[in-house]
Amino acid sequence: MGFLDNTTITVDAILTKKGREKLASGEENFNITHYAFADDEIDYELWDTSHPNGSTYYGAVLDNMPLLEAFVDETQVMRYKLFTSDKDKANLAFLEDITLSPIGSTSNKNGTDRIVPDTTNGPSQPEKYTFQILNTDIASITGTGGETGTFSTDSRTQTVKSAAGVDVTINDLSVDTSRTIFQTVVFITGDQTGATRVVTIQNNSKGTFS
Amino acid sequence: MAHTTSKPMNVASAEAAFDSGPDRLNAFISARTTSEERSTFFTAFQIEGKEEFLRAVGRFNEYIANHGTSGGGDGGNGDDNGSGGGNGSDQPFSATIYKQFLDSDIASTEKTTVSSGLFSDGAASLSGFHFSPTLGDVSASYVPVYNKATSDSTAQVQFAVGYANYGGSGSIGNTTKTTAGNRETAALYRQFRNVILGQGTEKFQFTGKTYGTVANGDPNGQDDFVFIVFNRAQMREKVDPGNWELHLSGSGDFQSGLKLIDDSSATTNTTINSANRVFNVVSGSIVGGTTTIKTAAAAETTYGAPGLFYPDLGIILLNAAWLETGGGITAKSGSMVFSTGTNTFGDNAKVAFNSISHSVAGAGKKNAGYFAARREEEISSTSYFARAHNQEFNFSSNPTYETTDSNNQRGAFTQPTFQGDPKAYITQVGLYDDSRELLAIAKLSQPVLKSFSREAVVKVKLDF
Repeated sequence: MGFLDNTTITVDAILTKKGREKLASGEENFNITHYAFADDEIDYELWDTSHPNGSTYYGAVLDNMPLLEAFVDETQVMRYKLFTSDKDKANLAFLEDITLSPIGSTSNKNGTDRIVPDTTNGPSQPEKYTFQILNTDIASITGTGGETGTFSTDSRTQTVKSAAGVDVTINDLSVDTSRTIFQTVVFITGDQTGATRVVTIQNNSKGTFS
Repeated sequence: MAHTTSKPMNVASAEAAFDSGPDRLNAFISARTTSEERSTFFTAFQIEGKEEFLRAVGRFNEYIANHGTSGGGDGGNGDDNGSGGGNGSDQPFSATIYKQFLDSDIASTEKTTVSSGLFSDGAASLSGFHFSPTLGDVSASYVPVYNKATSDSTAQVQFAVGYANYGGSGSIGNTTKTTAGNRETAALYRQFRNVILGQGTEKFQFTGKTYGTVANGDPNGQDDFVFIVFNRAQMREKVDPGNWELHLSGSGDFQSGLKLIDDSSATTNTTINSANRVFNVVSGSIVGGTTTIKTAAAAETTYGAPGLFYPDLGIILLNAAWLETGGGITAKSGSMVFSTGTNTFGDNAKVAFNSISHSVAGAGKKNAGYFAARREEEISSTSYFARAHNQEFNFSSNPTYETTDSNNQRGAFTQPTFQGDPKAYITQVGLYDDSRELLAIAKLSQPVLKSFSREAVVKVKLDF
């Protein structure tokens, strides 16, 4: 992995793992219909309105930053999407904090907990969400409507789309002495607003944390 | 502009309505729009072309995305889900985040021929030749040739060189049968024959020589040849005709060694046989970009031309009779003499390898071995034009875009100047299918600023 040459603006395009998988399963399954923009690498705090050279240079740091090459892992890209709204939009949508009790304690080795996000400043109707858990060895998710979603090729990543919430079921790892991983994350993205939140899942089924 | 309760149109359904004729189309539009929306987006529209109609649908869907109360259709039914596309099982798209490609946004299947150096890391030539005696099969009839010593973990096979003989000479197992079978030289000759020659053709014939008479020897063709087979990982799709040159040691040309090229530059009507294109191997050079043929294939009447070249297969066959005598190698150094005992392992692959690598004493040894070649690939690509108009994609869901204000209320802009004059950076473009699966990702080399006063078009080219 390297940085892209930013002396001229170029575009580095690759198929994701999912794209390769679909292409391999038949050309008819590879059908691009939509696009979206994202800015995962940008920290907007670097927009500098105190730049001595004036407004043209407010974004100088961001304008000239080098960008990493694309990752083939679709879970690691396109996290923070750009969206369209009225120019005079006053408040940005965000997901309220999600309090998730530690699950999988020694007394609850196969515990389940529910994640139901709440969007503030979102659409008038409650929005639905995309949930993505990165390591199903630790826990799995099921939509509150019963959706099991899809799994990546290596079966470690599970994605449930368009659900109001998910139930997180922890795996019992107490008999597996070889394991050292006790933690994974769930990415939550509002389907309408694109607002995101990350929830950490801790599996304490072995009774100890490393 | 006022809010509307209309939902975005499914583009596939709109396209189907268009194809069904004006009555169906009018009904389709009327059922999905208010009279004001019809007058704004569709009244002026003349039903002349599908593409223009779909553009009108696109403009309408963008309007809904900005002014719709549902945020762009998450209805979930097959007709009006999100910004359209697909069937009822599709994942809904937020029209404020995702945009649908129109036909005019996709330039499908451009074909470009790309050539590059054939050897590892795109090297155009090879001067060091190595083989591993421990890799097996080298005791028989071919030697895998590496670019580096095989003790180097980065060494890669570039091509294989070997010897084939119609009757099996040069290998054991011909008269005294073995449990391993052997007769490798015969098996290889027949394999090349079956793959390259047409049905019913028994032996290879090299241009220039008249075969067919017993008196002329080899009545049906040449009994043996040296083969060079490029590794597919190196040659990719095909070897570029007219752009390879091989030097052999033991040459009659004391100073520069024997040089072989193909005669594609002198061929106006390329021969296409069962193995696709075929050219003659001739003595000559392409150094300096100028092709110089020393002796034309047709003039090689005594032994036939030095060989045959199959660019689409990545195979060069060298005429053993020419190499032994016609090329003058024997006369000067005797480095390319094949052992053709009927039941004896001749180690002839090594003979050929030594000549290519210039690793034996002889006139050509004065120079390092040299093998230059190019590969050629036809790349099919599709270009997608992702457009962000001035009113689109000016906000970000990036966590650093939003913050808590002085009243401890979240949802404020991190940069207060963005309120009323929003700005965002584009660093990635994601391409999705109807199931909202991310199939391809494009990264810009530099962030591109987007605002209400800027538009952006990103061309994403996918090669297949």
